[in-house]
Amino acid sequence: MSTKDYKSLPVTVEKPIPVTYDLGNLAVFDSNVVDRNDVDSSNGKREQNIRSLTRDNVQLLINQILSLPIKTTTESAGGTGNQSASMTLIQLPGPTTELPREKPLPKPKAPTKWELFAAKKGIKPKERAGKMVYDEEAGEWVPKWGYKGANKKLDDQWLVEIDDKVKNTEDELVDPRTLNRAQRKELVKKNQRQQKKNMRNSGVSK
Amino acid sequence: MIRTVKPKNARSKRALKDRESKMVENVKQALFVPGQTSTKLLHDVMVDLSAMKKPDIKRFDKKNNIRPFEDPAPLEFFSEKNDCSLIVLATSSKKRKNNLTFVRTFGYRIYDMIELLIAENYKLLSDFRKQTFAIGIKPLFSFQGSAFDTHPVYKHVKSLFLDFFRGTTTDLQDVAGLQFVISVTIQGDFQDGEPLPNVLFRVYKLKTYRSEQGGRKLPRVELEETGPRLDFKIGRIHSPSAEMEKDALKKAKQLEMKAPKNVETDLMGDKLGRIHMGKQELGKMQTRKMKGLKSKFDQTDNDVEDYINDDEEELNKEINGKEEGDDTYGEDYVTATEIEEEEPAAKRHKK
Repeated sequence: MSTKDYKSLPVTVEKPIPVTYDLGNLAVFDSNVVDRNDVDSSNGKREQNIRSLTRDNVQLLINQILSLPIKTTTESAGGTGNQSASMTLIQLPGPTTELPREKPLPKPKAPTKWELFAAKKGIKPKERAGKMVYDEEAGEWVPKWGYKGANKKLDDQWLVEIDDKVKNTEDELVDPRTLNRAQRKELVKKNQRQQKKNMRNSGVSK
Repeated sequence: MIRTVKPKNARSKRALKDRESKMVENVKQALFVPGQTSTKLLHDVMVDLSAMKKPDIKRFDKKNNIRPFEDPAPLEFFSEKNDCSLIVLATSSKKRKNNLTFVRTFGYRIYDMIELLIAENYKLLSDFRKQTFAIGIKPLFSFQGSAFDTHPVYKHVKSLFLDFFRGTTTDLQDVAGLQFVISVTIQGDFQDGEPLPNVLFRVYKLKTYRSEQGGRKLPRVELEETGPRLDFKIGRIHSPSAEMEKDALKKAKQLEMKAPKNVETDLMGDKLGRIHMGKQELGKMQTRKMKGLKSKFDQTDNDVEDYINDDEEELNKEINGKEEGDDTYGEDYVTATEIEEEEPAAKRHKK
């Protein structure tokens, strides 16, 4: 057939039972009766019959797909071969056929001990104001912790006042700067211990 | 069970994370396994099927002695090891010649299995000598036969082929990507008690021609067979347990679309929206702005009147006289701060 012949051919198909679509999966379901003689392996025109049957359904499907809303973008598809810069995209609805999942739904994260406690007491999380705080002495914004953090202020002072609590204890002669540092390190360790404990209790093995 | 090691670097950590169960899942990967009795034909068919499924495939070269209906454990192991939830096992025996077992797994456990035996009149991709498939193209599907909706076995077949070849789920489809159709037909209708008819698997290339009848939008569609052409006879079947099926068909609540509130469609198909308005406070409504309505001219308390100069007072009297003494001005009162702010403006006005 030449292209001229196709011009006069119809683009609509009549079916006794209307076909159903799953446009999200680009699928068409035809529940009309398939004549057994048409598709029997002894029939010489078997392949033609199957092809024309499929063609009718695909024509219906294409008609449906092309009447969906269209979105044109200028992003190129890459290696599709055509040089045009814009692409015509069809906005498909979600798939309707129920297909089994590959893996079970992800379980929600188990609450930590603190989260349980907070829920019991009705404690709301603190509002996060951001990592940076204003350092009035230096006149600039510094991070609360981390590199050049505000919590390391004591470390590079040339003179540090001794806390009253430490007086007359064995810690009196320990450099307060190193004490401060040790406290920070201990806090980090403590947090890691708690994290591990929460993980063990929630059943995650890592 | 496979031993899981704590990932030592970021790359393996990412790879492990990708395997975890997700809300929106990865594309199902297919694994092609030749059984101990696999043949050249089955190998070629598997190559053809994997060509359609590329790039989400893995293909084994060596033969494996697996009998899935007797002991599915090796398949479950392969599934977990390779993170593949679709497995095709090729076996051939006197009783079941040229048999492909399509296995789906759920959470690395066997979900369902079906044996599809290739009948004699097959034709492979290489026999058609047509171009092969572009990688990663989403196919169209066409299912012919009423049993696909009613009979459990054919429902299984439909679900399997859709699941196997559909590729990525997307909400945007390129028109140029509509390239080939997978057509699955039941070989005739049947009554209960009759043997199950074959399933005819055909793949066609889509050709569209501009048609006078369809206008500019709808083309005339023609098909050209590219293969593979396979007739499947249905063998043994393993269906999922009700419990597992329920788990596998669960949908994430977070992904469900919330029904839009207060929007409905009436009998005529018109969209109606219901809007809830706040209380209308007419006193605060902004009307046309005029000089005379400025708040500094408001008639208010005695201390304010000191600022108003005599001419204006007279004017006000005149206006009030015309309106039969109706006091329309002094509803609002002016606070002291407002007056202070407005004083300079009043001075300028005098000049």
